Order: sequence, then C-alpha cells, then structure tokens
Amino acid sequence: MKYFKKGQIEKIVDRLAEKADVFVPMLRGQQSGFFSWKSYDENYDDLIFDLLNVYSPPKNIVLPQTEKMYNFDQQGQEVIVKPEEIPVEPKVIFGIRSCDVKAIEYLDEVFLTRTFVDEFYKARRDQVTIVANACYNPGTNCFCKSMGVDPLEPEMADVILREVENGYVWEPKTEKGDILTKQIEDLLEEKEVELYELNRFVRKVNYDGVAEKLKDLFDHPMWERYSDPCQTCGICTYMCPTCYCFDVQVKNWGEEGYRFRCWDSCMYREYTQMAGGHNPREATTERFRNRFLHKLQFFNERYGTPLCTGCGRCIVACPAGVDIIRMIELIKEAEPSV
Amino acid sequence: MNYTEQIRQIASRLLESGQVDMVMAWKKGAFDYQSIPYVARSREDIDKIIFDDYCVHNLSASLLRYRDSNEKIGIVVKGCDSRGIVRLLEDNQIRRQRLYIIGIGCSGVLDPLQAMMANSGFSRTKDISGLAAKCANCIQPNPVIYDELVGESQEARGPGNRFERVSEIENMTVEERRTFFEEVFSRCIRCYACRQACVACDCRTCIFEETRPQWVGRETSISDNMMYHMVRSMHMVGRCIDCGECERVCPAGIPLMLINRKLIKEVDRLYGPYEAGMVYVEGQKPPFSVYDEKDPDDFI
Amino acid sequence: MSNCSCENPLIPQIVEVIKIVEETPDVKTFYVQKDNGVPFDVMPGQLAMVSLLPVGEGMFSVSWQEDDHLQFAIKRVGVMTDELHNIDVGQRLGVRGPYGNGFPVEKCQGRDMLFIGGGIGLAPLRSFIKYCFKHREDYGKITIIYGSRSYDDLCFKEELFGKWPQEKDTQVYVTIDNAEEKWDGHVGYVPAYLEELNPDPQGMIAVTCGPPIMIKFVLQALQKMGFSDEQVITTLEMRMKCGIGKCGRCNIGSEYICLDGPVFDLAQLRKLPPEW
Repeated sequence: MKYFKKGQIEKIVDRLAEKADVFVPMLRGQQSGFFSWKSYDENYDDLIFDLLNVYSPPKNIVLPQTEKMYNFDQQGQEVIVKPEEIPVEPKVIFGIRSCDVKAIEYLDEVFLTRTFVDEFYKARRDQVTIVANACYNPGTNCFCKSMGVDPLEPEMADVILREVENGYVWEPKTEKGDILTKQIEDLLEEKEVELYELNRFVRKVNYDGVAEKLKDLFDHPMWERYSDPCQTCGICTYMCPTCYCFDVQVKNWGEEGYRFRCWDSCMYREYTQMAGGHNPREATTERFRNRFLHKLQFFNERYGTPLCTGCGRCIVACPAGVDIIRMIELIKEAEPSV
Repeated sequence: MNYTEQIRQIASRLLESGQVDMVMAWKKGAFDYQSIPYVARSREDIDKIIFDDYCVHNLSASLLRYRDSNEKIGIVVKGCDSRGIVRLLEDNQIRRQRLYIIGIGCSGVLDPLQAMMANSGFSRTKDISGLAAKCANCIQPNPVIYDELVGESQEARGPGNRFERVSEIENMTVEERRTFFEEVFSRCIRCYACRQACVACDCRTCIFEETRPQWVGRETSISDNMMYHMVRSMHMVGRCIDCGECERVCPAGIPLMLINRKLIKEVDRLYGPYEAGMVYVEGQKPPFSVYDEKDPDDFI
Repeated sequence: MSNCSCENPLIPQIVEVIKIVEETPDVKTFYVQKDNGVPFDVMPGQLAMVSLLPVGEGMFSVSWQEDDHLQFAIKRVGVMTDELHNIDVGQRLGVRGPYGNGFPVEKCQGRDMLFIGGGIGLAPLRSFIKYCFKHREDYGKITIIYGSRSYDDLCFKEELFGKWPQEKDTQVYVTIDNAEEKWDGHVGYVPAYLEELNPDPQGMIAVTCGPPIMIKFVLQALQKMGFSDEQVITTLEMRMKCGIGKCGRCNIGSEYICLDGPVFDLAQLRKLPPEW
C-alpha cells in the first residue's frame, strides 16, 4: 500500500499545488469549506482533514455561485457578443468525502447528459481531479448509505485517501489518479497498514420504495402539515451538495454588460413566477412539496437515483428544524390519498 | 425553563372553546436539543407541544403566512418575539383581535442550531453551554403585549453592553472598517435566510424581488452583496426589534446584529429616545414611517 | 431532439429584425433573419430563447419559419417584452435554440385536425396550422376555434379571416369574450364555444393552447365530448431560464417543459402532477 504520515499532508498538498489549484477543507473564521491552498493563511485558517466534513459543500468548484457567461456591447442596433473564457487551470479537490463525490456525479448527470452539454460546467469539470477521503466515522445526521452512497468507496474518485493510525493510505483509482501519484512519488512509502472498520450510523433511514410511493402522495394533506415551520429561506438548497438550480440574469451599465448565471432556489417564490402574473407554485406548501418530490421522486424517475447523498447538512442548517430523514419516515408511514 | 404543561393546558382550553383555530408553539425534533416551531390544530396536536430552553425561534414571523386569512391564532411568545407582534400590528399586517398572545417571561434560551452544529461533526466546537448569542444583551425579557402570562418576570441582561461591539467598530479608521466589512460581506452567499427569518421583513413583494427595475443584482460580488445588506438595513431603521434571528440563521456567520444595533443606536440618538416595538399604541408608527412637515431637516 | 447549431447552448446567435407586424395593441410579430437565412431550422411547436441583450431573455414559441426568416409572436407582459415592443426594424437580437419537442406532425398525418386557441395561445398553434396548410394533402379536415378577450385582441387577423377560411376543407370559428359594436360574430368563452360546436371526435386530433385556465376547461370539455387522452395535445408554458433542461424551474413532475415538452398529450399530462 502507498502510505504517508499525517504530518506530511501539507507537503503533499504543496507538491500538488505546483501543477494545479488544490482545494483543501479549511475552517476560515466561521465558515468551513473547500478553499484554495493558495489562499491559506496559517494565522487565520485551520485545515480540517480530521473533521467529518466541511459545512459549505464543494459544488462551487464546478458550479460557482456566480458565473459569467458572455459579455455584450450594443452599439445602436448592432450588438457584439463575446463568450467568457473559462481559465485553463487544473484543479484538485483534496479530501472530499464520498457524499460530496457522489453529489458531483449527480451534477455531471444533469449538466453533461440529456441532449445538451453545458459547456461552462464541462470546461470546469474536465479540469478537476478528485482525491477523496474515505469516511469511517459517520456523523450524527449522516445517512449516506441509505441513499446509495458507499462512504468507503467513493465511485468517481481518482484517488482514495484512507485514514489509518498516524497516516493515510493513498489509493490511486484512475489514470488521472496515477498522474498525481507520480507527482508525489517520493513523498509516499510502501507500507502494509491495517485499515479501519466503518463505524455505525447514528441515524438510519430506509429509502426503498419511497420514489414509487410518492407517485400517489401528491395531494396528501401531509405536505400542508409539514411545511408549517418552513420559512422558505433557501438555506437547505444552498448548503446541499446536490442542489443545482440556477438563475440566468443580466448585469449591464447602459448598453454594455454581461449575462451571468447564479445559484437559485426552488424555495423562493419568484422561482416559477411568470411575467403575466401566473405562478404554479405560489404557496409555501407547493414549493416545499416540490423540493422533496424533486429530491426523492422526480430525479429518481429521470436519472435513476435520488438527488440526495445523505450528507445531513440540510438537517443541521435548517432554522425551523425541517428534517429530510423525518420526511422520508413520514412518507413511508403515509396512507396514500384515494 | 420548562412551561410545557402550562402551555398545553392553555392551548387545550383555547382550542376546545373555539377561541382560537390554531396554536403556534413548539414541538420536539429528533434530538433533545432540537425544538421545532409547530402549529397545533387539534387535541392530538396539543400533546406534542413543548416549551423548553431550546425554543429560540421568533414565532411572530410565522404570522405573516396568515395575514390574508381569518383564522384566530394563539401564539406563544417570549419578550423579543412579542415585540415582533407589535411590529406587525404597527405595520398593519395582522389584526389584534385575531391573536391570543401567550407571553413567557424569558430567562434566556439556548440555540438548537448551535447545538446541532456542535453535534454534527462539521465543527470543532463541542462546547455548547451558554445562552444563544442573541440573548446576551437582552433588554426586554418580558412580553410587552400579551393576553396571558406564563412564568415569572425576568430581569434584563446588561442593556448597557449592547453597543460595545458597535463602539469598537466606530473607533476603527475608515480603512479598517472597509477591510472589516468587505471581509464580512464577501462571505454572503445571498441565500436570503436573514430576510425570511425577519419579522420586520413583511413586504408582500420584497424590493429584491422587483424586476422593474431590478434594484440589486443577484451576483455574489462584493458590490451586490454590500448593496443588498445596506438596502436591507436601511429598511430596518427604526423597525428592527432586536430579536437576533437574522444573525442566528445566517449560514455564513455574518454579524448582522452589529449593523442593526448601530442603526438602533443612531435612531435612539437622533430621533429618540426610541426602541422599536416596545409598546403597542394603536395608530403609532415607527420614526421613519411617517413624514411630518415639521420634521427638522437641513435638506430636502 | 436538437439540431442546435451553436456549440455552447447557453450562448446566443445574433439575428436581425427585418419586419415587425402589430397584431393587437399588445402583441407584435417579429420577423428575424441571420445572414439572409435562419439561425437554425425549427419544427412546428419548438421554442427559442430570444434576448434583447441589455435587458433580458425570454422563451417564445416559433410561430412560423420560412427559408429566410423566423417569426416570433410576442405579447407585452413584463420587463423584457416591454422593451422589445419599443425596438425598430434593424435591431439585433440574440436567439438560441431550437428547444423543445415540437408537435407530432408526422403522427398526425391523415387525421382530421381541431385547433383550439385562446389569446396569444394561437402563436404556437399557428406553426402547426400553417404546416398543415403547407402540406395540405397530408391532413384531413381542419377546424380552428379561436377566441380572445376582445376584437382588438384577436391575433393574426389577416390569416384568421382571410387566408385560412379559404383553404381546402377548413372551417374557422372565432369568438370574443364580450359583445362589441364592431363584432357581429360569436360571443362567449372558447371552452363554451367548443362545446356548442360539438365536433365529432372520430379520428380527430385536438390541439389546444391558451391561458392555463382555458386549457384546463378545454381539456375537460374535450373529455366530455368523447375525445380519448391520446387524441388531445397541448403545449404548455412555464418560466424558463436555461432552455436546456438544467436550471430546474420549468419542471412538471420529472418532465422539463423546455426539453421534454412543451408539447404533451393528455395521456402524458395525466401522469404528471397538476402543477402548471
């Protein structure tokens, strides 16, 4: 097995940073997320490889919160459009957990398949190499296994790190992973170490049959009931590693400007507000229901998997205590409406 | 604090007599440290009601959902929350006759969000002792408006220290302040949770939802983020009831109450003495909601 | 289906407005052209994103295509359409497309066609109607029922009262909501007029488009009259931003209107949540 001591991790990141922009899990003030190693300030930032996960999901690396698409300049009746160039810079997401790797897999499904390829997403995604960190200690609100994610085997990872006593095992899985391995060859040692066992999950949920059952629950009174506390604040969608809905907006000064896309949330009222005044999802209950149906049924019908990787962030973040695990339990208990 | 039994009894009495159609209170979530806002509409629902140390939410903000309907609503409020009700009454968002207000003399609450975070694995902080941050300098622990009171009258907790952090920022140089606020607002992800949680944000169509024109862009650039917060704070002037929910729910840890406290201090200094939502007098309006020709202004 | 010619589906091509026709006080048809041709080929019922660059983008059905231009009939309802109604011939716009599944023009060959439109809903139907007239021999009897709020609000008057009634084996019925002095035709709502005319569902395909409330009543009426779910087609509308089935907002259940729609038959619609 390829192995390195825990103390070597910064050296390894340093080495990888010679050829790529390496994103590492950091606590920066109050925020934890994946930040560029270039921006690491040892007086202020804290590397958190030892924590369960980062709070802000790494989706912003492949789908930035704000992304310029093209510039335009209207002169009289003429207009010139200049697409934005995506900077060519290889990226490495170092230390990402299986739930978040799976989330990126789902984002790939959405943006790279089904008739159209989102070129902006592709340009970023193609440059990303994933060095995942296998997860042996599920957190209080983790339920990744129930949602079809293997915490020990992140499928799409190019390299899997496995935390062992005093160090990490470095397990390259793909060609991209082999390239990285070559880069840090001299920092790795050959050593046989004992791997940990996966610890038990605190919370479990059974997702089997939920997508099917939801087909009959659209008009069920449970949605009205359980959407009571929801404030449609949108934190769940922003903290969620799989939520991808975006808005397309324009920023202009006079006749010049640019079109950009930015994260949006299905929880906001203007998400489906039409120009003529009609809004198919005007009420909180309708938006609340749509979010859970999209995550647990619609996405499954379309792509074959739920749009939830069991990371538990929404459960921790929701100011009103809405809990997706509880919602799945309630869905299983509900009597289908006639 | 634990007033579960008293609240259940009151709720039961109100619902059974038909005095109210629903009671807004809390119930328990998946964990001990998770109390969730809950609406009780029936006998079975009442059995789920609780009131404990984790009941931090300002339920008055939820009244906005019912502003266009006619149900009679029973609602449990702490000191700060009751000021939220005054806010809604002053803004003509709900009629007093529809409400039955159960007031709690509050000795301070704990924050379930902090507790969830500490137990989640996302944070190094395991120490979750101590009151919620918003309770630190409470000036009004007792309800200012109520139909029935539960619990004992409480002492305010250090009203004098409220503006300590404000003074620190005021004493910074302009450059230091710019660096501070640029760092703070660059974290904002524009999730609008602060706006949704706020009881004073009661506009039907929020200025940030307007399209003709679009006042602030949706980019998370520093200029758009700062515009969002500055515009929102200015709409809070003279109206913020200091409940601290905005800062509590923010996932990026932005010190929103710092800005609101600065504005509270300024309003009190320039137009005061004034504290928003402290007493309900019918027809009374907050300072910035009225224009009087006799107002002293040295420019138009 | 897609024959999108641009590499990046989110970046528009530039077209020139060569003609603007005022259909009603708030509807204009814009004829656009790129290099004396079309920016892309379109089938009836497909959509395109039209943008007035500094202002915004909107998804519109392509009302008709000729070799050298595309036609968009656009109603003034919001920020972008308002500005669009102020432009002159010669203005450059951005378009990207074509999006959506279009009408099942081949499947309907040999059938009698019943088109039911309301207000601006005639715009997408028009592409199918004109297609039928262009390939007249491929289709049977054609019946068009159309209504609007008032006489002034009737779109495509020239075709509605002039060209179309003169086509072979074609009947056009027009109604307006309330009686007016200058109108001596039928008065009443479209769903009611439809029931009055009571067309024979035998072998017929009904295609409808209009305000959501009108569509709902028309679907009910058609069912009452004996049309089966497979015989009824509609084209729907939702707020759209990306146009390529990725931004999430135009969903009805698991289907995206911009990608799997906007054309659905009633059998498909029944399987989806009633949230449009």
